[in-house]
Amino acid sequence: MFSRWDIRITPYLLIAPFFLVFGVFGLFPLLYTAWVSLHDWQLADGNQGFVGFDNYAALLADPLFYNALFNTVSLFLISTVPQLLAALGLAALLDRSLKAKTLWRAGILLPNVVSVVAVALVFTQIFDRDFGMVNWLLGLVGVDRIDWQAGVFSSHVAVSAMVMWRWTGYNALLYLAAMQSVPREQYEAAELDGASRWRAFWSITVPSIRPTILYTVVVSTIAGLQLFVEPALFDPKGTAGVGGSDRQYQTLTMYLYEKGFRVFDAGYASAIAWMLFVVVLVFALANFMVTRRSVRDS
Amino acid sequence: MRALSHRCQWAATEIAEHVEEDGMRNRTVRVAVAACAAALVGTGLAACGGGSGSGQTRITIATFADFGYEDLFAEYEKAHPGVKLENRKLEFDAHHSQLATQLAGGKGAADVVAVEEGWLPKFRTSKDKFVNLAEHGAKDLAGQWLDWKWNQGVTDNGSYVLGVGTDVGSLAVCYRKDLFQQAGLPTERAEVSKLWPTWEDYARTADRFAEKKPDVKFVSAAEQIFLAMINQAGEGFFAKADDSFVADTNPKVRAAFDLSAGLAAKGRTSGVKPFSQQWTVGLKQGGFATEVCPAWALAQIAEGAGEGAKGKWDVASVPGDGGNWGGSFLMVPKQGKNIKEAAEVAKWLTAPEQQKKIFDKTGNLPSQPSVLRDPAVQGKTNEYFSGAPVGQIFAASAESLKPNYRGTQDSLVRPKFQEALLRVEQGKQQPQDALTQALTQSRAELK
Repeated sequence: MFSRWDIRITPYLLIAPFFLVFGVFGLFPLLYTAWVSLHDWQLADGNQGFVGFDNYAALLADPLFYNALFNTVSLFLISTVPQLLAALGLAALLDRSLKAKTLWRAGILLPNVVSVVAVALVFTQIFDRDFGMVNWLLGLVGVDRIDWQAGVFSSHVAVSAMVMWRWTGYNALLYLAAMQSVPREQYEAAELDGASRWRAFWSITVPSIRPTILYTVVVSTIAGLQLFVEPALFDPKGTAGVGGSDRQYQTLTMYLYEKGFRVFDAGYASAIAWMLFVVVLVFALANFMVTRRSVRDS
Repeated sequence: MRALSHRCQWAATEIAEHVEEDGMRNRTVRVAVAACAAALVGTGLAACGGGSGSGQTRITIATFADFGYEDLFAEYEKAHPGVKLENRKLEFDAHHSQLATQLAGGKGAADVVAVEEGWLPKFRTSKDKFVNLAEHGAKDLAGQWLDWKWNQGVTDNGSYVLGVGTDVGSLAVCYRKDLFQQAGLPTERAEVSKLWPTWEDYARTADRFAEKKPDVKFVSAAEQIFLAMINQAGEGFFAKADDSFVADTNPKVRAAFDLSAGLAAKGRTSGVKPFSQQWTVGLKQGGFATEVCPAWALAQIAEGAGEGAKGKWDVASVPGDGGNWGGSFLMVPKQGKNIKEAAEVAKWLTAPEQQKKIFDKTGNLPSQPSVLRDPAVQGKTNEYFSGAPVGQIFAASAESLKPNYRGTQDSLVRPKFQEALLRVEQGKQQPQDALTQALTQSRAELK
């Protein structure tokens, strides 16, 4: 009798801590944020009264919200597309027989274990207008120095460089793991048929690791849309700034931070948080559908 | 679920594993979001509140820059057995926004907190979160302070004492003697002061300087000039009478913006953020000929420019009238457990004897006439700045200056103008367009 009870209950007891912690630190803040977003809520002074969907209405008419949304999507595209392509190439190189294999594989993960704050500070110096290394190198080939923080595109490139630096190696390792489970016979057969390496890569490797590719796309989407530290620290004013003199690189999360912790408008910030949640949900859902279809195809 | 292909199952496990890794990836974001959530939940950032242990009363004091308190703490503890003082220090903006979060959450704030005058009006609107120091005898001490400094820290016609003043900023201009010499300008501090009775003269000096030294910027950022002029204006973005937004009609705001944006448009400014890392590099490279210098900035310039520039800097008077930039107050949040002792500490740390010691150690300018007139303060010179008589320069002007009125929303609006000037410096906008945008943004923010 007891043993049956044990078998039935124990699994739930074992997973209960996760749900408890998730409930306290995940679900409750999520719902509470929704509640706050329906109020005029000042960070220091608390609840100032129920306003319904006023915060959302204001947000949808707020040009700064769309500016932040544009920057977020732009930064996501500029950083993710080249990053995943480069990771794919790196993985293909590492998949060949190399000397000191482990060294290379560990090596490409190295940027990922460096603190993001350190990366942001170093890259901000590398992209410095007056004494930065990039401008110095450009100067050698006769290109005028660029004020990286001033322009929309230039600032997005600089911020994306940080993201790529940190995540290319990580994604390459995921691809590598998937590539190694591709049966070698397929390559041998292709070689016998006279296929080039390039052809084999696109016709065998890429289709075989498609689930992994889609997984990295989904994860990069979620992370990319929440980008905060890199652009925030690229601003010389740090988190006190708004992402450049004209909000050139202010992401949605940075706008949330500005409203919540600079302006102290917790109600509006909560509305931004929920809009961000919806945006991520839409992107993730779209990716999920693509994933399902492509898995069925293959 | 059973219908899942083998491959799909593999991918699912992968995802489960990497969701965890993803947590690492966004740790900093999550810290920010968690902080937000925690604040909203109402628990606040429980940064180990000042509980008392083993019969000792522990008083925490939260500050943001060098307040020069270390030695004083030891002195206080010696005179008050059973009391232990502890300093918590954060970066300027982080300190103030964290304080707001802690007030909202109702816990986590230090027993005594420092608030800078630019941020003070924002906290004045939530005065019920702070102890009225008048109830702890602070009102009897009112005469210690400069009138205007005392008045900045009180509300309700002086019956509610929110904070007691630490230092004041006053204003001066620091300059590089060697660069001035190379540009054929006078180098002696009295003569340099004569170069710029007004800010228009200062701008003309910048032009003269640029003719000879085009590769060196005359000042680090246009916002320095703008803020100095606003601090001399008496009334800035908001009307003293009713706290209404007047930046678009106040001729002094217009004049300050036009002059500083003019310097920016001509390329006389570098466009780095003052006190940032790039600013420090610029100072080290000798990239700026002058800097606007409140008393507390001397230490920051000396530290930024480094030993190599010792004796190359000097201090001249500021163009225009006297003005005040910066300075802080000590306040006692109501949520503390040892309010009485905290109020004693705040009063003691801002007392004349302590202000004098702090000035000697850090150069932070006292906010009390008796200290400002003290021969030891008046006679103080600064070796790094070529032995400039900083006691005389700053102390003399501190008593005569008229402070600038700060609206309750000052800290919201000010950055819009700083960003506007940066846009001009970056060549993104003409001065007029930049100003128009700053005014539009300010109005939208105040809505």
